[in-house]
Amino acid sequence: MASIARKNLFEDIPRFLVAQAGIMFAVSLVTIQLGILKGFSRSTAIVVDHTTADLWVTSQEMVYFELTSALPADYLTQAEKVSGVDRAEVLLLRSGRWRDANGKLAPVRIFGFNPDGQLFAGWKILQGKIEDLKQPYTVMLDQDSRRSLGLQQLRDQGSIGFLPATVVGFLDDVQSNASSPFLFASLETANAYGTAELSSSITCTRQSNGELNCTNRFQNRPLGQKIGEIQPPARLNLGDPITYILIRAKPGENLDLLKQRLRDALPGTEAYTRKEMAALTRNYWEERTGVGFILGLGATVGFIVGMVVVGQILYSSVADHIREFGTLKAMGASNWVIYRVIIEQALWMSILGYVPSILLCVGLGHWTQAAKGVMILIEPTTAAGVLVLTVVMCVGSALFAVQKVTRVDPAIVFKA
Amino acid sequence: MTAIDFDQIQRPGSLSAATVTPCRESLLQDALTQKAIAACGVSMIYQTGTQAFHALKNVSLTINAGDVQLLMGPSGSGKTTLLSILAGILTPTEGRVCLLGEDITRMSSRQLAEFRLTNLGFVFQGFNLFPALTALENVEVALHLKGIKRQAARRQAMELLEQVDLGNKANNLPRDLSGGQKQRVAIARALAGNPKLIMADEPTAALDSQNGHAVIQLLRDLAKEGGRTVLIVTHDPRIVEVADRVIHLEDGILQS
Ligand SMILES: Nc1ncnc2c1ncn2[C@@H]1O[C@H](COP(=O)(O)OP(=O)(O)O)[C@@H](O)[C@H]1O
Ligand SMILES: [Mg+2]
Repeated sequence: MASIARKNLFEDIPRFLVAQAGIMFAVSLVTIQLGILKGFSRSTAIVVDHTTADLWVTSQEMVYFELTSALPADYLTQAEKVSGVDRAEVLLLRSGRWRDANGKLAPVRIFGFNPDGQLFAGWKILQGKIEDLKQPYTVMLDQDSRRSLGLQQLRDQGSIGFLPATVVGFLDDVQSNASSPFLFASLETANAYGTAELSSSITCTRQSNGELNCTNRFQNRPLGQKIGEIQPPARLNLGDPITYILIRAKPGENLDLLKQRLRDALPGTEAYTRKEMAALTRNYWEERTGVGFILGLGATVGFIVGMVVVGQILYSSVADHIREFGTLKAMGASNWVIYRVIIEQALWMSILGYVPSILLCVGLGHWTQAAKGVMILIEPTTAAGVLVLTVVMCVGSALFAVQKVTRVDPAIVFKA
Repeated sequence: MTAIDFDQIQRPGSLSAATVTPCRESLLQDALTQKAIAACGVSMIYQTGTQAFHALKNVSLTINAGDVQLLMGPSGSGKTTLLSILAGILTPTEGRVCLLGEDITRMSSRQLAEFRLTNLGFVFQGFNLFPALTALENVEVALHLKGIKRQAARRQAMELLEQVDLGNKANNLPRDLSGGQKQRVAIARALAGNPKLIMADEPTAALDSQNGHAVIQLLRDLAKEGGRTVLIVTHDPRIVEVADRVIHLEDGILQS
């Protein structure tokens, strides 16, 4: 019986092509939406994924990885004393305004870490060396962020507040699509950038009539520093707020117990494993914002469009062959024989629509990644999921077409 | 056509005595067991909206095994309706039909399909071949339906095509065959699986007289070879000579 389905399908090539185009459109829409959602979601916590820390300690108030409040710097030394902690490192997260060479502004996120450290490490470095960050006022960034910061190559410059910034390296695959461009810098540099906005001073003089005359002055350099004179960044001191303490546990340490000990030792903090931190962040972006919903909606629309297209095509194909199906029934074929033909036709349509669509989406993903920094992430599980959806879509609409055959009166076979 | 005397048989029915020839179980049973095809008191009323159309009125008949039986009558006289009922494709409003000694009017639709699959072959006025399948594949499909698999099906399909003298057209699509050739493919398909009964509705209507005659001759010869019973509906008078018996239908009433 196999041949009836396939031959009915290929009998009318133009119609077949229209059908396949419709299916490809639907499958691609679903794949792209899911791929963007996956790529987006992955990117939101990719920085966390890359690190090698076992635990992240931060304020209890943390909402997600980029939104938390500060900790006192002396928590670092306290954390180091907690039993089971092998190593602890500070991570700063600051915000700033990037001004490119043409004076154009862009918001940035600045990560400050110890370039000699081991826990905020593991980057894919395309150009430059991490050690280069030890030079004052140097930064690294994701290659995909170059355009939005008006940068092209190593040694290009911009400024943050009144401080200069020189690019010493490009990284791959660290930027969150949900966030401002990330800059990676040494602790000192990042800390300096965090406070490098305008400084203000008020000077008051008492006048002869006894009134106070005050002048509020703003300047774009630190107080007491002359224009053009830039001091190297100061070392982080105990008074500076820090954002995260990254922890490496001693080998074989139970992380749940260690988390508890850290919470006890550092009041007002919470400790998360790397996986928890990443999951929390992804969850935030997928659920607390409308992103997951919107992309999911797009995927649903694609699914429905596909269903309608396939349903339509199968229905008209069944209508065209109704006499033959009637003949099969007259000959004594059970409804199942006919269902099998139609379902097989649907399966062929789904496979022949799926394969080129996935290839198309992979190609498109390469392009969007290169040209727009937007990842369409098609993991094997996504691809398998879309295959299942495609089959469900095609077979589902086949069931819609099948009812036309179920009702066919075999007596039509005698109509001339 | 053997006339059975149904007249004295009493049977309670919803239709009036004037239109129904009653039909008694025991007598029916006797008559039916030896007959390939038997119908008793068959009536068919088509209900379209509020209109009821009496297409068959109390038809009773028997057909002997191995006969080539013609059913003739003017257009609209109910021939196709009767054939559909005798083939178990249409359920009569009233009456009973026995095929090969089995009462098909008592079968479930699933049993009926099963019965048609094993015992019946069809030839249609419009050929009803699968346009996307070759001549060989059209015959193979029928064999597949009957549970004959791959190689065996292919071999048998080829043999059947050779029997209808189309061995050299096995790989042609229906659109590349003449009307007569198409109908010969249909005959090969009807013979697939070696059914005991063949039913053909106006098999020559779409053919010119020469082709029509050849097709009928072929159908007759193949049926006779296999000892099959054939019921042919036609209004083509030239076919009469190949038939063992002829019955006439007019306005839904069997003429004797
Ligand atoms: N499904 C149907 N519904 C209503 N009337 C029908 C139907 N099928 C056939 N008829 C009517 O029954 C009569 C007999 O039809 P048919 O058996 O096809 O005659 P024949 O085959 O002898 O030309 C015709 O008048 C036809 O209009
Ligand atoms: Mg007719």
